[in-house]
Amino acid sequence: MKNSKNIMLLFLLLSTVWVYGQQTQQKIDMDIDAVGNAKINVSMTMNAQQWQVWVSTLGNNPAALKREVERSMPAYFLDDFKLEKDEMNRSFTLSLNAYGVCEINKRGVWTIDTDQKNANLTKLTDYKYMLVSSPEEFGGTIQQTFTISFPPEAENIEVDKDALGNSIFKFDMENSAGGINLLMLGGILFMVIGAGWSGVSMLTNKSK
Amino acid sequence: MKKLLIPLSLFFVGAVLFALSFLSFGSASGDLDISIVKSNSIMPAAHNVYANELALDGKYYLFKAKMTNNGDNTLEDVTVRYRIPGYVEWTELDVIGEMFPGQTASVRCYPKFKDDISEKMTESTEKVEIEISWDGAQEDDIIDEEFSFRISDRNEYLFTNIPAEEIAGWGDVYNNDALLACFVTPNDPIVKYYTQNIQEKILMGETASVTKDPNEAVRFLAGIYNATVLSHMVYSGTKGIPENLQDVSKFSQHNRLPREVITGNTGLCLELSLLYASVLSNAGLDPMIFLVPGHAYPGFRLNGQYYAIESTGIGGEGIGSIMSAEDAFKKGMEQLNEFMQKAQTGDPRYTVVDIHAVNQQGVTPMVLKDDDFLRKKVDDIVTSWGSAGTIAKTSNNSRVASSGNTGSNSGGGGSGGGSSLSFSIPGGWQTFMRPVPEIPIITAQVVAPDQSTTVTVFDVPASSGQEALGIINQYFQNYGMSMQYQLNGNQVTGQTYSNSGVFNWVGKTLGRNGGIRLVAVGAPDYLYNQSSGYITQVFNSIR
Repeated sequence: MKNSKNIMLLFLLLSTVWVYGQQTQQKIDMDIDAVGNAKINVSMTMNAQQWQVWVSTLGNNPAALKREVERSMPAYFLDDFKLEKDEMNRSFTLSLNAYGVCEINKRGVWTIDTDQKNANLTKLTDYKYMLVSSPEEFGGTIQQTFTISFPPEAENIEVDKDALGNSIFKFDMENSAGGINLLMLGGILFMVIGAGWSGVSMLTNKSK
Repeated sequence: MKKLLIPLSLFFVGAVLFALSFLSFGSASGDLDISIVKSNSIMPAAHNVYANELALDGKYYLFKAKMTNNGDNTLEDVTVRYRIPGYVEWTELDVIGEMFPGQTASVRCYPKFKDDISEKMTESTEKVEIEISWDGAQEDDIIDEEFSFRISDRNEYLFTNIPAEEIAGWGDVYNNDALLACFVTPNDPIVKYYTQNIQEKILMGETASVTKDPNEAVRFLAGIYNATVLSHMVYSGTKGIPENLQDVSKFSQHNRLPREVITGNTGLCLELSLLYASVLSNAGLDPMIFLVPGHAYPGFRLNGQYYAIESTGIGGEGIGSIMSAEDAFKKGMEQLNEFMQKAQTGDPRYTVVDIHAVNQQGVTPMVLKDDDFLRKKVDDIVTSWGSAGTIAKTSNNSRVASSGNTGSNSGGGGSGGGSSLSFSIPGGWQTFMRPVPEIPIITAQVVAPDQSTTVTVFDVPASSGQEALGIINQYFQNYGMSMQYQLNGNQVTGQTYSNSGVFNWVGKTLGRNGGIRLVAVGAPDYLYNQSSGYITQVFNSIR
C-alpha cells in the first residue's frame, strides 16, 4: 500500500474563517532537510474583519490551532509549533516541523507530492521552486504561494507525474551523515598520524 | 628502527579501524524508534472509508506509525507489515527504499476489511499486529508491535472520533458527520425494491430526477412520507443526537439501517432521515440530512434550492398525532428556514450532510446483500398501502376491492386486515387510481361516462369512522374545501363545499388494515336527483 502524502493540502483550514471574505493571500515556505523532513512556515496578513474572526476562533487558542493543523495533515507527525502574531499589522506566522514529508522508494529516488494535477510550478533557483495555487473549494478567494526549498544534497531535481497524474518532485539525495562513520574517521586519523610520525622519524634519522 | 615502532603501530591500528569500519558499515543492525498513533474504534458501516487513503483526505486510518532511524547505519528496504487476526491477513503496508541515520518515515494503515464486516451485529475488541523488518535484519532486529482496538456493531454510529476529554466545540461533536453517508444505502436491494414500489404504487410514476421540476420532486418527497404513513410506521425515541457538549452519553447512536426502518416499521429522526436520503438518492435526487441540536430531518437540493420535510410527523397512534404530508412538508420548510438563519450566523450546531458530495470524497455506502425474507416484508408493507390498488373484474361490472378480499362488510372499526369494502362499477365507468397525488388518502375514483356521478374510495390511517372523516375534512380544507357529514353506524351522508359548488354524497365506512376505508358516491347538487338511480345502485352494492 502506497501512502499518498499531500503536503499542499495543508493550512487551508487556516483560511476557512474567511471563506466569505475578499481574496486572501497565504505564503507557505517549506524547507526540506537532508533526511526528508520539512520545516514549514505559514504566514498571512488579513483585513480587519478577517483578523477579528481568526483571532476569536484560532488566533487566541494556539492549542486549537495546533489540533486543526494536525487533523488537516493526518499523514504526518508534527511538532515544534510556534505561533507569532503581529497584532499591529494583523498578520501571523506559524512554524512547525513535519517529519517524513518526502518518501524514498526502493530505487532510492526521493519524491514529494504536490497533490495537484499540472501544478503551476516555477523554478526560482536550482534548489527552490514556487507553486501558486487557488483551491477551487474556496471559489478562488484564497491564493496560496508555496516555496519549496531542497537541501544542497539534493540532485537531479525534476518535476514528474505520479500514477494519479498529480505533479510530483523527484530527486536523488545521498545521506550526508551516512557515508562515513567514527570507526572510519578514527582509522584515517591514526593512519595519518602514524604515517606522519614515521616520515618525520625517518627524515630525522637521515639528517643524523 | 625502534623509533619507527610506535608510529608504524599507530598506522597499523588505523588501518585495522579503517577496515573494520567497512565491515560494520555494511552490517544490518539497526536502531529504529517507533511510535504509533491508533484509532480506538472502527465503525463497520464505514469500512469503505477506512480502506480508502484518499477518502476525506485520509482522515480515517486505523493507525499511523512514525519510524526514526536512530542508528548509524542506513537501513535498506524497510518493510512494514500488519495483520488483524480474523479480519486481515498479513499485508505489506509500505516498503521504504532507504532509511538514512536520522531519517523519519510516516506510514499509515487503511485496512481493507471484507464486505461481510457490514453484517457484524456485535461489537468486539480486536488486535493489530505490526512487524517491521529490513534487508539483512536478524531475527532479533525485527520489530514487533501490537495494540487493541474496538470494532463496533454495524448499526453503531459515532458522532465523533475525538476523545471526550478533547471535545471543545460542536465542530468536534459532529466530527464524523460525513460518515452518515455510509448509512445511506441507495444500492441496497431492499431499498431499491421499496423505492420502486413507492414510485409505482404511491406515486403512480414520477419524473423528478428527469424533469428537475421542484413540484415533482416535492411530490416524491411527500410520496415517501405517505408510504410511511400508510404502512403505519411510527416514530420511536431512544438516545439521539447530542444536545450539549457535556452529553457524552449521546456521542454514539444505534442507527437502524434504512432496510431495517422499512421492515421494522419504526424509526428515529436520524434513521428516518437516512431512509429518505437512501430513497431519494436511489431515485436520482440529491439528498441532504439537516442536523440541528437534538434532531435531524431529511430533504434534497434541486436547482440550487433546498427542500425539507419533517419525517417524524408520522408520529404514531400511541403518540396521538399524524401530520399530513402537506403539514410535514410545511413543518420541514419552516425548520429549514430556521436552519439557514442559524447556519448563516455561524452556529456550528446547524450542519447539513450533502450525501452525494461526501460520496464523491470517498465516503461510500456499506455493502448489503439481497434478502428474500426482507423483500417479502416489503411486499406485506406495500399491500398495506394500497390495498385498493388492484382492480378485479366481475362478470359484467368492474369491482374495486382490496387485494385478496372482496368479501363481507362486517362493519365497525378495528385494525384487522381480513375485511374490506368493495362495490360494483356500472359498465362504461372510468376508474382512476390515485387521482390526486397530493391527497394520498384518495385511493381511487370511478366516474360515470357523463361525469355526473363519482365514486371515491378513501383509505385513511385512522381508528374510527369519525376520525377518518375528520382527516378527510382536514385534507379538503387545505384545498379550500369543507365538508359536512352525518355518521350513522357505518353509513354516512354529507356535502362537500368548494368553489365549484356543493357536492352531495352518501357512503359507507369499514375498518381495515389498521385504518378506515370510506366509499362515497355522489353528484353535484344540481345533478343529484337525476343521478339518484346510479347513486342508489352503487351505494347498495357497497359491501
